[in-house]
Amino acid sequence: MALDVGCFLLALLCSASCEVITSLDQTCIEEEANRTYNCENLGLREIPDTLSNATEILDFSFNFLPTIQNGTFSRLINLTFLDLTRCQINLIHEDTFESHRQLSTLVLTGNPLIFMAETALNGPKTLKHLFLIQTGISNLQFIPADNLENLESLYLGSNQISSIKFPKDFPTQNLKVLDFQNNAIHYLSREDLNSVESTDLSLNFNGNDIKGIEPGAFSSRVFQSLNFGGTSNLSVIFNGLQNSTTQSLWLGAFEDTSNQDISSAMLKGLCDMSVGSLNLQKNHFSDFTASTFQCLTRLWELDLTATHLKELPSSIEHMNLLKRLVLSGNKFDELCQINATNFSSLTHLYIKGNQKKLHLGAACLEKLKNLQKLDLSHDDIEDPDCCNPQLKGLIHLQSLNLSYNAPLGLQSQAFRECPRLEILDLAFTHLHVDASRSPFQDLHFLRVLNLSHCALDTSNRHLLAGLADLQYLDFSGNRFPGRTIPKTNLLQTVGSVEILILSSCDLLSIEPHAFHSLGNISHIDLSHNSLTHDSINSLSHLKEIYLNLAANNIGIIPAHLLPVLSQQSTINLSQNPLDCTCSNVRFLTWYKENLQKLESLEGTVCANPPALRGVELSAVQLSCGMTVLGIFFLIVFLFLFTILLIFAAQYILRWKYQHI
Amino acid sequence: MKGFTAVLLIWTLISPSSSGGGSGEAWPTHLACRSGGLEVLYQSCDPLQDFGFSVDQCSKQLKSNLNIRFGIILRHDIKELFLDIALISKGSSILNFSYPICEEDQPKFSFCGRRKG
Repeated sequence: MALDVGCFLLALLCSASCEVITSLDQTCIEEEANRTYNCENLGLREIPDTLSNATEILDFSFNFLPTIQNGTFSRLINLTFLDLTRCQINLIHEDTFESHRQLSTLVLTGNPLIFMAETALNGPKTLKHLFLIQTGISNLQFIPADNLENLESLYLGSNQISSIKFPKDFPTQNLKVLDFQNNAIHYLSREDLNSVESTDLSLNFNGNDIKGIEPGAFSSRVFQSLNFGGTSNLSVIFNGLQNSTTQSLWLGAFEDTSNQDISSAMLKGLCDMSVGSLNLQKNHFSDFTASTFQCLTRLWELDLTATHLKELPSSIEHMNLLKRLVLSGNKFDELCQINATNFSSLTHLYIKGNQKKLHLGAACLEKLKNLQKLDLSHDDIEDPDCCNPQLKGLIHLQSLNLSYNAPLGLQSQAFRECPRLEILDLAFTHLHVDASRSPFQDLHFLRVLNLSHCALDTSNRHLLAGLADLQYLDFSGNRFPGRTIPKTNLLQTVGSVEILILSSCDLLSIEPHAFHSLGNISHIDLSHNSLTHDSINSLSHLKEIYLNLAANNIGIIPAHLLPVLSQQSTINLSQNPLDCTCSNVRFLTWYKENLQKLESLEGTVCANPPALRGVELSAVQLSCGMTVLGIFFLIVFLFLFTILLIFAAQYILRWKYQHI
Repeated sequence: MKGFTAVLLIWTLISPSSSGGGSGEAWPTHLACRSGGLEVLYQSCDPLQDFGFSVDQCSKQLKSNLNIRFGIILRHDIKELFLDIALISKGSSILNFSYPICEEDQPKFSFCGRRKG
């Protein structure tokens, strides 16, 4: 009977423990104590009790709330941001948010809403951002207008809306962003636009193929931005926006939409509008001459990304107001083909991802005296003698991007023409520098230098000479002879550096004093190398820095190196083959006492012994050597053993004497 | 009584856990296309969800106009989206290819910019 009951209880216990395990999976992640919670994708049907009453930001997306009403969220009165994306919500009953005075952002994206009560959005003092993307709305009357006076952004993308005419009682004066992407809006009438009473609005019609605009619909209106992306016939837009003003006009096309060519005649419509920035990406020009630019003269920004251009016309008039020009993704053979002289006021020029090999030529940008930023990345540029002839005249250039190009040969003072350079990006562009040359000499203002994966000759100790003010140096992906950084190295000339990245340099070791001259350093990244604990010696003079030693070959860290680690402010030791045996116990104790200094605790796991592989270091409990209790028991045992020996000896002697 | 407890014990051992997704099951393998002597299968590696992928033609020579059907529930906004293809045969890599589909300065397709959900 007792055995039966015992078996029964055991069975109950087994089934009970299965339940406990599954419910543990369902706790929300507390991203900020008592304030921010993430309950995404937990199959929840109600707000869990584990959430604090003081919760302000809640991501409750991908759960299950078919109906929401005034009891659903009532406990969380401090909510400012609530995300209910894809919660299968059908019905939003009255006063659901009645007690949520502070609610500012409400996301209802992806819910199949069939009903919103008149007072569904009542309660918040200033509801500012409302997301109703993909909620099946076909008529704007579905949205209750009550309490929306402070609404600034309304997102209505991916619905079945055909008319943007707001009901009379809908407050639109404070709207700043109105997003109608991917609806079925084909016609915009004057009545439609008049129902939206705000000024400086950002209006997005991307993915609606607008086929008609009533004349005068946009007349005298002022917008922050207008987006008509994916419109097949742009002449409708150019005619329909007569007499309007907008800071930004986005008329780009896409790979998966078909659109008619733009003709110079169409662009004449711009003379009747006031536009600051125009984007025509991926469109095709039927004719492209100087007259194409006739009505583009008042733009300050023109984006002609991927418009199939091979060259720009040679004498375009009056484009001297243009400040920013984007010519990325086109098919230029030579930089001179852009005829930069037409755009004398340019401050920003982007030619990224040219679809052919771009030849820099000589002095092609000479007239651009005001140029501050130049992007020539991903252009397959190859030049054995860079970069003074090519960059002639760019005296005010502050930022230069030549990354992801083909090999460049850099001479001494390679950037003499751009003495005011502050940011230089050469990542993933192999650089050929002759022995002992200093290509960056005299770049007194350079703050940021990216030399990642440039296949540099690191034995050239003068490589980085002349960089008096450098703050950030990315030197990752460059190899050092013998896989070690020697005591005298090229980093000695950049003593001002604060952030140094030496990851993926295939390093085995770093000699002591290698970083001796880095007096200003605050951040060193040595991740993804093959360093062992020896290299930590080279950091002994550094204090309060961020040190990343992730993904190296560190197993044991001996006790004499622990003070070096204690001196720093943040350390990352994740992805190392750390030893969790008694030979590393001093480090393991230090680790648990210094958790606040350590980054990526979940990734810092044991590799050794096999029984502890994958276990987080912070969870490891080791007892090594003799504890006090062990010593006590040993003494007691030895004492008892001694007494036993004495008795045994007495007994044997007595037995012997008895038998004499 | 003994028989009952035995059955109860056996049931708790063999009944599937009710939580589903976290139990280490993989998503099913689906067919992307089958024609021209070629069959292409795929399986989602996303722990959160399965997705749909189907191509209209499947021959060893790809014709110029390929129609691809793809459906997935977005777990993040699409501000940037890259297509990375890695072809591995018998443990060694044959092809590594990365193509930007959506970038902030060049949204190539009409779905670039769609939001989570």
